[in-house]
Amino acid sequence: MQTRVRTGARTALMTFSLVYILLLIAAATAAPWAAPYDPTAQNYALRLVPPGTPGHLMGTDDLGRDVFSRIIFGSRSALFVGVLSVSIALGLGLIVGITAGWFGGWADNALMLMMDGMLSFPAVLLAITVVAMFGYGIGQVTAAIGLVFSPVLARVIRAETMVLKSEGYVESARALGTPVPVIVLRHILPNMAGKIIVQCSLFFALAVVVEAGLSYLGLGSQPPSPSWGLMLKDARSYVFRAAWLAVYPGLAVAMTVLSFNILGDTLSDRLNPLSD
Amino acid sequence: MKNTVYRTIPGLMLVILTLLVGVGCSKKGESGASDVSRNGDSDKVLQFGLQGNPDTLDPHATTATLTFQTVRSIYDTLAEPDENRMIVPALAEKWKVSEDNLTWTFTLRPGVVFHNGDTLDSADVKATLERLVSPESRSGRAAAFSTITAVEAPDEGTVVLRLSEPKAALLAELASGWGAILPKSLIDAGHDFGRSPVGTGPFRFVEWIPDNRIEVTKNEDYWMPDAPRIDGVVFNIIPEGAVMVQGLINGDLDAVEAVSNQDRPMLEANPDTTVHTSLSALVMVLAMNTGRSPMDNVEFRRAAARSIDKRTVMDIAYGGGEVVNTFMDYGNPYYMEFDYNAYDPEGARAALADMGYDGSVPLTMKLPENYQAHVTAGEMYQEMLKAVGINVELQLVDWSTWLEDVYRGRNFDLTVIGHTGKLDPSGRLGGYGSGGTYVQWTNAAAAEAIQEAGRVADVSERRRLYGIALEQMSSEVPHVYVGSMNFHVAARSNVTGLRKDARLDTFDFRFVEMGDE
Repeated sequence: MQTRVRTGARTALMTFSLVYILLLIAAATAAPWAAPYDPTAQNYALRLVPPGTPGHLMGTDDLGRDVFSRIIFGSRSALFVGVLSVSIALGLGLIVGITAGWFGGWADNALMLMMDGMLSFPAVLLAITVVAMFGYGIGQVTAAIGLVFSPVLARVIRAETMVLKSEGYVESARALGTPVPVIVLRHILPNMAGKIIVQCSLFFALAVVVEAGLSYLGLGSQPPSPSWGLMLKDARSYVFRAAWLAVYPGLAVAMTVLSFNILGDTLSDRLNPLSD
Repeated sequence: MKNTVYRTIPGLMLVILTLLVGVGCSKKGESGASDVSRNGDSDKVLQFGLQGNPDTLDPHATTATLTFQTVRSIYDTLAEPDENRMIVPALAEKWKVSEDNLTWTFTLRPGVVFHNGDTLDSADVKATLERLVSPESRSGRAAAFSTITAVEAPDEGTVVLRLSEPKAALLAELASGWGAILPKSLIDAGHDFGRSPVGTGPFRFVEWIPDNRIEVTKNEDYWMPDAPRIDGVVFNIIPEGAVMVQGLINGDLDAVEAVSNQDRPMLEANPDTTVHTSLSALVMVLAMNTGRSPMDNVEFRRAAARSIDKRTVMDIAYGGGEVVNTFMDYGNPYYMEFDYNAYDPEGARAALADMGYDGSVPLTMKLPENYQAHVTAGEMYQEMLKAVGINVELQLVDWSTWLEDVYRGRNFDLTVIGHTGKLDPSGRLGGYGSGGTYVQWTNAAAAEAIQEAGRVADVSERRRLYGIALEQMSSEVPHVYVGSMNFHVAARSNVTGLRKDARLDTFDFRFVEMGDE
């Protein structure tokens, strides 16, 4: 009985997340058509119009820009940062993880020492350091987040590689003289794909938060580009007068993170049945 | 699955933080313990909200406004600025200047007593001024007093300053926070004025708990009759503006400085609080680096200036104030009206076309991200410049980077900033025209007039000379001069008489009265 209720709730959550993610992707792809206004167009005659005003579903900000349009365009930078930074982290993680896991020995020790060193810094702090070194901007932030996430992926991939390496089919392939890249591509990668996908979806959610956080600090997206973090930063001085300026971008960030986390957890349950 | 909630926390926290920082418990304060205790005893102590922790309380060893906002109540100066932007006697009863403007003779007010019991005499003034200009003083402003070659004390009540060259701004420098007079006995004893200030001011120092509060109590022996009128002031150190506003609304604070434009309507609507608005001495500018192309072309700068709707920027980004058209604050006696480069976007677009400017290379506008008003103004400038064909990219920088890279390093195309007020125009205009400032503007006529005005004492002659410079600046626009914004100081409705000096940016608590709430 209880299991059935739990499963039902899970399915509902999962459906909700999937719908939200699909909507997000649709919004990002079709932003110019979906948004009723230019997200950076200022209109001083309609400043701080409350939500629900005809034509401005979510109201307008202090320069009369349409909040709804900015939220829609904001999904672009969120997805951009998410996809790109996870790709960077995955690329680095695969190279380092497989090298370390496959060859072992001193290569393993040296690479893992480096990764441990990076892991010892709090993620956001490390990202701030990278941005401070290479300048503010969405590109730098994306690279920084990718770099910061790579050690965890590298560790996961290394561990999986070591396990898979001693599997019978891998040993057989080696005995037959199959070149290492082919073994990796054909036997190692497909067998660890589940774990990696789960990890990536979780990182994706985290990347959205970190990007919003760094933009909130003024390090990420630069004005007047519509980024959710930047919108929260602008909203800070208006909390008493126009709380909606904080509520909508805040909700957008929170729901994105929640959806990707639920997606990650569900995938984890489905792809690795024994891990729960 | 349970991990999901946990992992979502950072995302939710960002939202909650944003909301909580401001909203807090936005219900009007329960008349709790603080109100009872205030009515319970007869002491009228003003609870004041200060924006940050001062670095030191030694007036000679700092350039920080926060220090002067605090120690202004503990120390006095020989002369001081009054409400009408004039400089009036304080510790010096009167003064006279020699014919050649090289000798200033001050007559001290008799019977003034320091907080440690010493009576003020000319030896104290001499020791103070020597401490100020001494190499080990660490004063950021020692150079301003460097024309003083000798301080003489012919008798107890007279101080004579001898100068190497005439200095029109001397009185203004002495009236600024750096001119605070300290007791000789403690200077000689090597007293730590930075931790435990002692002066002749209206309030005595009690204690300073760093990052928490600074407490001062009434000086019963103050030289000015019937001042101060309250029993003390507690400077509560509260960096977050929204927390400060909340404290004022629920009655924990009696007065706060610098209310933002966003919070002002709420405080104005509240019957328990009053907002005192006064014109600041700031000049808000859109600065252009005249050392770089195309800003080195005066016609380009004029076109940029003509594209800016100053009134709208002042109203929206800076919450009102007065529009100016030259590098002087609106309320300043030296302010002048010019009608160069009035708002005319069509004319600006045509001028740019004549020049052959195509806007293909975007300019970078660096904005100090800690000043939301400047960031908002920057977004508006970007839009206005785009309308005439000048493409601008915005780049946020933190405050220390702005100071280092933009202001000192001159590494920028455009930037937005507010220039603070000075008691004397030489403080604002010094270095302009000779390429020595961050906008790198050169103009021989202006540079010469500014230098000359620093040496003459006659006010109408100085006004004429500064007028030459201000006209050149209005015409050649090394910055687009936008306006002087208002200051909003908010207080509980029972608090009256709180004064703020626009140019020093300090508070005067001597005439504050607190009625019953």
